[in-house]
Amino acid sequence: MDFGRPQQGERVRLRMRSLYILPTRFGWLWLAGTVLLQVVGIQMQSNGPLLLSFLMLSLFLLALHLTHFNLQGVELSCGVPAPGFADAPVAYPIRLRCPGPSEGVRLRLAGKEPDLPLSLPPGEHELLLRWSPPGRGWQRPGLLRIQTTAPLGLFCCWARWQPAASQLIYPARRAGPVRLLASATAPLVGERAVASQRDGSDDWRDLAPHRPQDSPTRLAWKLLAQGRGEYTKRFRDLPEAAPLLAPEPGVPLEDALEHLSERIWRLHGQGLSYGLELPGQSVSPGRGLVHRDQCLAALAWCR
Amino acid sequence: MSRAAAPLQWLTMGLLALGLLGLTPTLSLSLLAVGLVVLTALKLREARRIEERRTVALLQLVCAGLLAALQPELGPSLLQGLAILLALAGLLALELGAGPDWRVLLRRSLQVLLAALPIALVLFLLLPRMMPFTNLGWGQGMGAVTGLSDTMEPGAIARLGVSRDAAARVAFPGGGGPAPMDQRYWRVLVHERFDGQSWRSTTPRIGIPPAALPVEAPQPARPGEGIQLWLTEPSGLAAVPWSGRGRPLSPDLRLRRNGELLNQSPGSQRRVYALTDSATPDDWRSQPPRPINLALPRGENPRLEALADGWQRLGDDRERLRAAERWFRSQAFRYTLEPGPLPRQAPLDSFLFETRLGFCGHYASAFTTLMRAAGVPARVVSGYRGGQWIQPLGGTGYVDLRQADAHAWSEVWLQGEGWRRVDPTAWADGDPLASAAVAGVSRSSTGPWGWVQQQWWGLDVAWARWWLGYDRDRQEALISRLLGDRRQWLGLVVLLAVGLCLAASLGGLGWLGRRRRGDPLRLELERTLRILADQGVTPQAGETLPDFAERLAQLRPTLASPLGAFVALYQRQRFAPGPSRARSKETRRLGRALRRSLKNGESVREAVQRGRS
Repeated sequence: MDFGRPQQGERVRLRMRSLYILPTRFGWLWLAGTVLLQVVGIQMQSNGPLLLSFLMLSLFLLALHLTHFNLQGVELSCGVPAPGFADAPVAYPIRLRCPGPSEGVRLRLAGKEPDLPLSLPPGEHELLLRWSPPGRGWQRPGLLRIQTTAPLGLFCCWARWQPAASQLIYPARRAGPVRLLASATAPLVGERAVASQRDGSDDWRDLAPHRPQDSPTRLAWKLLAQGRGEYTKRFRDLPEAAPLLAPEPGVPLEDALEHLSERIWRLHGQGLSYGLELPGQSVSPGRGLVHRDQCLAALAWCR
Repeated sequence: MSRAAAPLQWLTMGLLALGLLGLTPTLSLSLLAVGLVVLTALKLREARRIEERRTVALLQLVCAGLLAALQPELGPSLLQGLAILLALAGLLALELGAGPDWRVLLRRSLQVLLAALPIALVLFLLLPRMMPFTNLGWGQGMGAVTGLSDTMEPGAIARLGVSRDAAARVAFPGGGGPAPMDQRYWRVLVHERFDGQSWRSTTPRIGIPPAALPVEAPQPARPGEGIQLWLTEPSGLAAVPWSGRGRPLSPDLRLRRNGELLNQSPGSQRRVYALTDSATPDDWRSQPPRPINLALPRGENPRLEALADGWQRLGDDRERLRAAERWFRSQAFRYTLEPGPLPRQAPLDSFLFETRLGFCGHYASAFTTLMRAAGVPARVVSGYRGGQWIQPLGGTGYVDLRQADAHAWSEVWLQGEGWRRVDPTAWADGDPLASAAVAGVSRSSTGPWGWVQQQWWGLDVAWARWWLGYDRDRQEALISRLLGDRRQWLGLVVLLAVGLCLAASLGGLGWLGRRRRGDPLRLELERTLRILADQGVTPQAGETLPDFAERLAQLRPTLASPLGAFVALYQRQRFAPGPSRARSKETRRLGRALRRSLKNGESVREAVQRGRS
């Protein structure tokens, strides 16, 4: 049972018109059991099976509403998805706002196995769904299906939604040849001057009066201990010899980008500096988390 | 899937297996039920996935339904109800995630069942019933045999065991009651064939075929007509006990010419049937005797025949009867349960003229033979005599018949009067009924256990009356009473009632769900704060609870002590390592006391104003 008009938009509220409900296979089996007991009761003129069969029918009617109430009024919205790599499943955040208790809720992205059922108390919840993106760039996880069969498993109530927020996907990390541009192997005289303008985290450069918003790790404790007042250390990145990475010529662009992605990941892991030179854009050498993400994003967008 | 799912489902299987123990193994439907329970257990054993577990829960419900058809009595019904509750809890455990434990699941299951019950009852009570499709003979078979037997041969019994097992119960729901103790005879079998040793009944052993039943449904009881509601334990006989007066009310009853009441349902089951308590015009008593009522193998008991020949010279059957009674009373007959065996040759001669020791069978057999030999049509009747009147705490009183009440007596045909009951046992010394009547001693089993049993059987009678007795006719009567001649509205009424019940159930479940939400301690505090807010006092920003309480106590000194106690306990509970049931109860109690004094005393607002002035 996977049909129905998918809802669009950043935020969707599940109502009568967006929720679908049908008996599960077990529900039909349950009805068959009800009929069987009815036949036994009529044939034997016995009250017990008759009442039990009516009880089961009544539970069936009740379950129709209880299952529907689990999703009725639930508000779905997208969180801010963190970037991920194309080679591994990435987490996509979904926010749920339940007006009442929602039981047995399962969320499933297209082509994935449904998650374990969750029983959500009323209130706001953020759930992370894992999905495997098909490639790099801005990607959307496709159709999200939210369903529940609680409390008795007799009915399946579901809704379909196309979450609007895109997730930035970096190229997959695959080891391979990368072109190191010679011009970037040694720092230029001019570059040093430019680099020294920027604040970084590598080299201690200067002292400035301490402000409350400054990190205590940068406090000049020695000066403080000497009673010379509170000062914050200023750092800058080292404009050392940094490779300027570029796609290897002769390798298809997608493969080359994957090699670059792996190389950037590795260099960042080793704490080294690097720059990036891509057709149409370049990132000057540097290091740190922000720099790495900047480079990877450039790879993801590269055309 | 909750961890409690597997234990709950296995527990349900255990209850169902327990229910199987009470089944009669020879019924075809019993075999089906046993098979289904075994298959369900095997399925549960190998089930891994949720879908398979769900199927197991459904199979368990179907098993419970089959058991309900086979054992509709009160005790087994309670067991089946418990099994249904647990099966449903097992099903809930599969759907509600890993969180809830078995207590939560049982409570949920009970809530859901209670919510579903109103709709089920509406459908059960009002939806017109269908007749059985065909008579497949389900439930027919041989059955257990108890106290009464269709052959009576007292001479072969040296010692009669007394069983205190239950035989039957009869209630009088329309008012009235049983006959006085010495007139309480409940007839079952009529033994007309005598071969010199044993008396045989002509009743078929198995239930009467449906064709033998009257085609037209019995007339319902008229207002003012008393009703006897019978509940008999399995006996293996087609004939069922009755008082000899009255008209059958249940459609599966048939009255034979000789005064036997036959029941269509198999004798291996408990049976429930109803009779009116009034005399009928075509009474079996006035059915003339047949040659078989005089048949006697001559020469078996020569001394007996010689005695009867003397009476034959008397002109009238009544004279002969009186002569026999005189003779019996003049001899030293004594009632005993251990008379010893009688010889194969001339057993009745030996009893009448030598041992003179015997129980009811001996007396009835000897007297009936004497009467036949004297030319008076006579027959032996077996059934029950006496029975104890029991009035349970609530509900209708009933007569409790035990197997030990089984009795045999005679009936003789008197011209102009019809069949008259004669109980020769009453002429012997030591007749238990006579001595009990003289001494006024109740022979009920005393002690608390006996009392509990009597109450339980009182419930059982009520159950039989309201639950087992609710059939098509009762339903028709109910619908007529509700709708009168506007039967065409029945469908609409049922739909409307179902809709209303559904709305009420859903509302009730929603309310229960909300009630459980939140921390009980916090709820208790908020309830109190709300009342204070109504009276114009609210905590200020940043004010702690003890500070607020202190401020309040200054405004209203009378409130100081309940407020102090409540706040202290709240603080202790709030920072306790774990919740304690006794303490939460105590908090609730203190909270209630505080709110009461808040509502009763002067309002805080007045106190505030007084403080300012």
